[in-house]
Amino acid sequence: MQILDEFNKDIDRLSMDLRNFIKENVVDFRKKGVVLGVSGGVDSAVTLTLCVQELGEENVYGLLLPEKESASSSTPLGAEICESLGVKYEEVPISPILESLDIYNKKDQLIKRACPEYDPEVHKTSLALPDFLDGGSINVPYIKLAKDGEIVAQHRLKAKDYLELIGLQGVKQRSRMIVQYMYAEQMNYAVCGTTNKTEMVLGQFVKYGDGGVDIEPLADCYKTQVYALAKHLNVSEAIRKRPPSPDTWSHYTSDQDFYWRMPMHSIDQLLYAQEHELPMDVIQENTGLPEEKIIKALKNFDVVRKNTEYIRATAPVFTLNGNY
Amino acid sequence: MQQIREDILDFLRAQSFMDNDIHFDDNESLTKAGIIDSIGLLELLDYISESYSVEVPEDMLTPDNLDSVQGITNLIIKLKDERS
Repeated sequence: MQILDEFNKDIDRLSMDLRNFIKENVVDFRKKGVVLGVSGGVDSAVTLTLCVQELGEENVYGLLLPEKESASSSTPLGAEICESLGVKYEEVPISPILESLDIYNKKDQLIKRACPEYDPEVHKTSLALPDFLDGGSINVPYIKLAKDGEIVAQHRLKAKDYLELIGLQGVKQRSRMIVQYMYAEQMNYAVCGTTNKTEMVLGQFVKYGDGGVDIEPLADCYKTQVYALAKHLNVSEAIRKRPPSPDTWSHYTSDQDFYWRMPMHSIDQLLYAQEHELPMDVIQENTGLPEEKIIKALKNFDVVRKNTEYIRATAPVFTLNGNY
Repeated sequence: MQQIREDILDFLRAQSFMDNDIHFDDNESLTKAGIIDSIGLLELLDYISESYSVEVPEDMLTPDNLDSVQGITNLIIKLKDERS
């Protein structure tokens, strides 16, 4: 059995079923279309294409939501796909929201505490975890300083600084959510999310940020399946070849650097193998990894899944059950 | 050594979501048992640094050293010995 073949199987049918899902839910919610944040990445490109195919370009509105630390390629790639699909779109920079909350300044001060040599005029920054398959299975995040595209220093963060940093960074996705709902309610549209299954399982999204949406068409498709959909839907090569990233650090930080800690195909094959309880010899044959690393990775997924339950959970409700 | 072990247990009880009455093996994995998560690990490193005036070097950030009460205790003793 080849797991990658499973990811590429029945892509045409999957594409049609996703389109039906989008239509059914938009109709059920009694909305007239969808608003989508278009990042220039593959998830939003695929979701946008499916929405346009199913709902028509006149019922889809694209929002480009860059900020000061977004990659320079994000807005042009987002605009390009909106234009190629004939979708109306608007660029709404979220930097003023972030500046009003002093996010950039607070982040600079925090990075300076961790990295005394940090100079915002000179360095770009990113947050990364050690590669999992390379032996570093301890989950200690590092702030990295880059100069002219090269990493020149890295420092560990104190727990309270890490927590503050996560809170500051999350304002980016949560600001985007606010803007998307402002437009969606004005147009009587639903907000369409772009989170994929790899991100969903690992809790790789911001609660009430990019996770704050009305529908999630891709949330049961692994990232590798999203790439297969992108190819099937003729998403441009420039978008398909771009390393996936939340695009929230001035030094471009890929999902592999911070969330996955291993290549995309490896993590998706391992997650699929765990989901389908595949035997060890099949996992080894597919991933080319030794048994010891596979066992470690699968156990690590269990830990991550448990630690991120809170992110996926909706607020628990105390029910009266007719007792009061 | 016993005092360090007790300090670590107190720290884990105070900082994590552990039930005060819970008992576990000194060699049990703290992450797999859900006793410590990635933020708890950073808090542990800060605690070691502040309480024992030793910094855990990069090459010692391993599961053997940080994922069990026994491993953490041994690590602190080793770092204190190296310092003196």
